[in-house]
Amino acid sequence: MKMNLRKNSKAIIILAIIAAFLFVAARGMSGKDVLITVLRGFSVGSVTFLVAAGFSLIFGLLDVLNLAQGTLYMIGAYVGWTVYVRSDTFIDVLTPILLILAGFSLSNLWGRLAGLIKLAPKARKTVAWVLILTGFGLLALVLTRYPIASWDLNNFSQSPITYSYMADQGLRIIPAEVTFSKISPIVAILGLLVTSALSAFGIALLNRDESRMQTTSWRKFLLPALLLLVGVLVAVFNAQLTSWMFAMSTNWLFVIAVLVAILSGVGLGALMETTLIRPLYNRPIYQLMLTLGLGTIGLQIVQAVWGRPEFVWPKPEFFTGTGAACPATNLADLFQNHCSTVLLLGGRVRVYDEIFIPIVGIIVLILVWILLKRSRIGMIIRAGVQDRQMVEALGINVRRVFTLVFALGVGLAAFGGALAAPSSGLTPTMGERLLLSALIALAIGGLTSFPGAALGSLLVGLIQQFMIKYGQIGIPLPFTDVVFKPSPPLVPASTVLLMVVVLLILPHGLLGTKE
Amino acid sequence: MKNNSSFLTKNRGILIFFAVMLLMPFLFGILEGSTPAMIWGNQGSMSKFIEGLGIEIFILALFALSFDLLFGITGLLSFGHAMFFAVAAYLTGIALKTLSMPFWEVVLLVLLAAIVQALLFSLVLPRVKGITFTLVSLGLASVFHIIVMSSDMINLTGADVGLQGVPVPAFISPATERLRFYAIALTLLVATYLFYRRFVASPTGRVCVAIRENEGRAKMLGYNTTVFKVVAMIISSLTASAAGLLHALYQPIISPAVADLGYTVTGLLIVLIGGVGTLSGAIVGAFALRLLDFTLRRFIGESASFITGAIYVIFVLFVPYGIVGTMKLRQLSTKPGWQRLWGLLKPKN
Repeated sequence: MKMNLRKNSKAIIILAIIAAFLFVAARGMSGKDVLITVLRGFSVGSVTFLVAAGFSLIFGLLDVLNLAQGTLYMIGAYVGWTVYVRSDTFIDVLTPILLILAGFSLSNLWGRLAGLIKLAPKARKTVAWVLILTGFGLLALVLTRYPIASWDLNNFSQSPITYSYMADQGLRIIPAEVTFSKISPIVAILGLLVTSALSAFGIALLNRDESRMQTTSWRKFLLPALLLLVGVLVAVFNAQLTSWMFAMSTNWLFVIAVLVAILSGVGLGALMETTLIRPLYNRPIYQLMLTLGLGTIGLQIVQAVWGRPEFVWPKPEFFTGTGAACPATNLADLFQNHCSTVLLLGGRVRVYDEIFIPIVGIIVLILVWILLKRSRIGMIIRAGVQDRQMVEALGINVRRVFTLVFALGVGLAAFGGALAAPSSGLTPTMGERLLLSALIALAIGGLTSFPGAALGSLLVGLIQQFMIKYGQIGIPLPFTDVVFKPSPPLVPASTVLLMVVVLLILPHGLLGTKE
Repeated sequence: MKNNSSFLTKNRGILIFFAVMLLMPFLFGILEGSTPAMIWGNQGSMSKFIEGLGIEIFILALFALSFDLLFGITGLLSFGHAMFFAVAAYLTGIALKTLSMPFWEVVLLVLLAAIVQALLFSLVLPRVKGITFTLVSLGLASVFHIIVMSSDMINLTGADVGLQGVPVPAFISPATERLRFYAIALTLLVATYLFYRRFVASPTGRVCVAIRENEGRAKMLGYNTTVFKVVAMIISSLTASAAGLLHALYQPIISPAVADLGYTVTGLLIVLIGGVGTLSGAIVGAFALRLLDFTLRRFIGESASFITGAIYVIFVLFVPYGIVGTMKLRQLSTKPGWQRLWGLLKPKN
């Protein structure tokens, strides 16, 4: 214990200084202001933590600094918004995605077939590329004709802003349905399946050594068949599903939206790792630049699809009640009336922003902690962070764990986006801002340390919120009558300065370990 | 005399580039139908347009060159490189507009600021390495970006609109004396390139390359690697500041975007397209990127940056050595090929 104290003396001193600073800052405010500021700090810290935790897991195991994390956070928010506000679009998009996935999941089977075909290497390559290009070309052709109900960025009455506003007012109108007019439904469904299977076959032809399958059992057909079945069912019952989702309580819709956001994040993460990051494992700097480029591309796609202007994600019913007993003063009132605010120490606290988000953040922290400490996969991850070669030498398929961790990390970021969007709104710049906070949090806490990510995020959240609060009430400078008000742009600057100071004293962060 | 001729042969490429670029406005101007005298007097619209595009490319190339020295030669990946550029640009603007200082004092001030910034970074250098250095540099630069954007400084920097109405000294005003501005920018670029070539070939430059390859070994050989890193940092900062100064003089608005991470990424992209660590790649990349961006914006419009991003990803994945690097590798393999062919033709003795 004594040794530990001495070894970590610098970290403890820094933490003590920050704590003293926060304490002094808290003394200058009234009790309710302190409470609200601290809760807001926890809220911002939780969202930052969700992005930073994924970042640190990915960096710790894979040595990839995933600078696209901010964009993926933003994509999570936008996907969740689409499910929540425009459920019909979500249902329409679901069928093509499931069918394409079904086609590509056949690639496992194609591998065996590809192994049987004997061709000269050059002819094989040519055939493969012809298949891939025709497959993708036809796929694009079918997709552009596939009917998807969507919003119109150029028409204000049909823009995302209007739809969110209407949903916020409780007017969830079902937008006009788009029917199969340019293409017959059977051709569309078969076309999607066949073209994606065609490209999957081409890809299987390209990498023949990996795709040799030992056994062909009926289980391998299960996943494609299931995806196909669900896809066709969704297409057939499109109208019923849409009206069912629009009639659903917004609480459940919110849960579905968040789940879909997480799933899309996991899917995107797995796709990124397997196709783009994997070829670059021996060139780390290029990985960093690749993720940076992907972040820019993702940002452009989001701007093209959802537009540049800011819009809101209306909160679910559970957090928007305004009954006679609101703001609630006890738990019974809160749960009966679903109050949007509660009275704590005489101050109004918003339930979603300042209580729900921190609770979810803490739950995720505990869950990921249990996953890391108590499960077999967590053991492999922790061992991989320590020494990757050794884990490989012990006969563990690290590649698969890499994909899993990348998918998990991106999924956490997307979750953060979906969670934060109802309180912060959706803008194309939200990812960039959060990425900077998450990077600062990680640098303060220690890049590869999971508890460090939590501590760093909390510190960043608290310091930002205290600065914002003091920006409103002003700091009376000692010995003068001048009241200094830190302007909002100086808020991120304060955390950046903290990061630089911490890194100068402790290059590995507060909880990071030395190599 | 022999020395002189070897200088000419060694730098044939860049000298031909210098001559061609000097003739370029005249060439395009005459094709459009204006006389050389008109171009000399800054009259022809086409030649003026070509000069403007050229100046932008030279500024980008200068910035990318300084980034290549730091990243490609010394192996320091800094995400705060745009700060050098932006500090110089804003300092020039503020000194000329608000303080109305004489031009030569402004140049001195900017160069002094460049050295001070490099020393500020070098405070951090011995303590943090690798990715952590990247993060710290990103942090320092984003503090500057935030300060520039903040509403407290609106009188000086113009906040998010940018710094406007900088009085440019008449003798290099881009409106009336654009040809001179063009020639100065081009000369500065070529001179810097020649200096960089010389620097990389010098003992100090070789140590910088050694630091990139393996810092531990360079240390073991008895070199104080921090000193060499600081030297590279100062040279790089001076070059980037020169580019920033030209930018402030040429552009009507100094937008805060030049202090952003995005601008560093532009430099990175140029270096990557041209070829990391090749120096000439920075110039090639600047031409490729600016001309590509120009054409795409003309024909596609706003979504051009999406395509730029896609090109970036394609280069990272498929052309990691960039245009110049790939060409050099080809040359390595074509030379033995020619020798083999020559051997077939030549009778064996």
